[in-house]
Amino acid sequence: MSQILFLELYPIHPCLNFLKLKIMTEQIIYLDNNATTRVAPEVFEAMRPYLTDLYGNPSSAHTLGQRMREVIERAREQVAGLLGATETGEIFFTSCGSESDNWALRGALEGHPEKRHLVTTRVEHEAVRNLCERLERNGYEITWLDVDEEGGLDLEALRAALRPDTAVVSVMLANNETGVLFPIDEIGRIVHENSEAVFHVDAVQAAGKIPIDVSRTAVDLLAISGHKLHAPAGVGALYIRRGTELAPFIIGGKQEGGLRAGTSAVPYIVALGAACELAQNFDGHERVRSLRDKLEDGILNNFERTRLNGTSDRKRRLPNTANISFEYIEGESIMAHLDEQGIYVSTGSACNSGAHVSSPTLRAMNVPYTAAQGSIRFSLGRYNTEEEIDRTLEALPGIINSLALMSPY
Amino acid sequence: MSFYPEEITEYFLRPRGVGEVFEADATGATGSHVCGAALRLTLKLDAASHQITEARFKATGCGYLIASASVLTEVLQALTLSDATALPTMLESFITEQLGEFPVEKEHCARLCRDALGAALTAYRTSSQTEWTGDEALICTCFGVSERKIEAAIQTASLHTVAEVTRACNAGGGCGSCQPLIEDILDDYWRTNLQG
Repeated sequence: MSQILFLELYPIHPCLNFLKLKIMTEQIIYLDNNATTRVAPEVFEAMRPYLTDLYGNPSSAHTLGQRMREVIERAREQVAGLLGATETGEIFFTSCGSESDNWALRGALEGHPEKRHLVTTRVEHEAVRNLCERLERNGYEITWLDVDEEGGLDLEALRAALRPDTAVVSVMLANNETGVLFPIDEIGRIVHENSEAVFHVDAVQAAGKIPIDVSRTAVDLLAISGHKLHAPAGVGALYIRRGTELAPFIIGGKQEGGLRAGTSAVPYIVALGAACELAQNFDGHERVRSLRDKLEDGILNNFERTRLNGTSDRKRRLPNTANISFEYIEGESIMAHLDEQGIYVSTGSACNSGAHVSSPTLRAMNVPYTAAQGSIRFSLGRYNTEEEIDRTLEALPGIINSLALMSPY
Repeated sequence: MSFYPEEITEYFLRPRGVGEVFEADATGATGSHVCGAALRLTLKLDAASHQITEARFKATGCGYLIASASVLTEVLQALTLSDATALPTMLESFITEQLGEFPVEKEHCARLCRDALGAALTAYRTSSQTEWTGDEALICTCFGVSERKIEAAIQTASLHTVAEVTRACNAGGGCGSCQPLIEDILDDYWRTNLQG
């Protein structure tokens, strides 16, 4: 069970400018690892000296600067190691996954102004989806590939979409909401055999959860994010295969080969490196998978009117994710009740999104409206225990039954 | 710390008035395709006193909807039909008074309650209208008061104003659209009776 410290400040009397500090500890069960992950103690320890005693601008000529340059190169090796990059020079640090995605698409387009066509899918993360919508408004042509009801892609449709003026093909490796995996090996082959397009993979949700090997995959660009694999938010990376034409993203100093200016965020880069090494050495994937399976089976077998969103073929899904709909029940209510019991999940309900739109991913998969409203995403991580899964399975019947009794359907 | 603000949490965890009234006299259902919420309100009315004796709701929705509907059923208990008819316009502000200001994206939860109440009252009026046809011409459709009943009230208590009529038999106490008609009935009655 994870321990979390809640600091609560409240005035004793409204007239008094007097505050009492209330410290309490709460047991929490964190099942929202696709949203963000807890910073691993190993990662924190690795970055800590660079937030305190060790400093210096890596661009400085003095030995402090030189030392920081070495530290960054070490982190680059660690990231390259996780992704299977043959050269560390193919790894570029960014501030986040969204930046990596933006750089990939915009950078590839800039190099070929005559190419005005992109191919992507209807289930991409906002970083790619909203960028493509913006490009569409600005005159680019986008082919939005549909998915089937299990969240899978029609590769023939992809092949048919490729044209001589296709600049970029951008697909995610793992869907953040359902965990459904796209076959990037096959997609990469199809893209390169049938077009001159650059192939970008958004691997933000996959990195650290399943093996990635860019040396054996026809990927040109690949984005990852630190906070999805137990580094803090504020750092990401873009893999750029040697020889891929990509325009710089931030113009300024000579950092990151002159392609991405801005003083290197040494502590964060160190953290990302440490997190990648930690992920590469993680031997608990099967344990996480079996906990997910236990949770998923426990819900699907014991509740009526539930459905799994995403393929039931677990080999084609992330081992940590289960997206389940409780039909005719509002997802935000389920989430809020779980929250009351210290269990943290997320929902694809329109009610819960500020803009009142149900998840585009679930809509693209043709999930019925009443089911999308009741969708709950459970995403596990390395720190979850069997006791936590048992407690979640024990908490759900009371919540679901009371909400079902209240339902007018 | 709770998912919702304190007032909402209280009703979300302990909702009031959940369920369905047995043999309801009025039902009002609303839903929102925007957020996916659905609400059904059922009411039991005492025909003689025009009082709501029971109000219950069923809902699929977030904590704000559940809390709003709880407050609605609480306020409806023992309200007269007259008061309930006047309620929809001010219901939203009443709910936010009880529960605190709603964030913009949750404002429609209170609106759904208003619509469900409006639908239930309209349904009740329609059903009483079908009962009050024939020689019992209906003047006040809000409360299903016929011309004969209004005349009887005027005669019995020697009423002279619309306000007195409303107090005596509820007529004119709802939307108020029949007040000119009641005025006419009063004029006719006293013209005839003074002449006689």
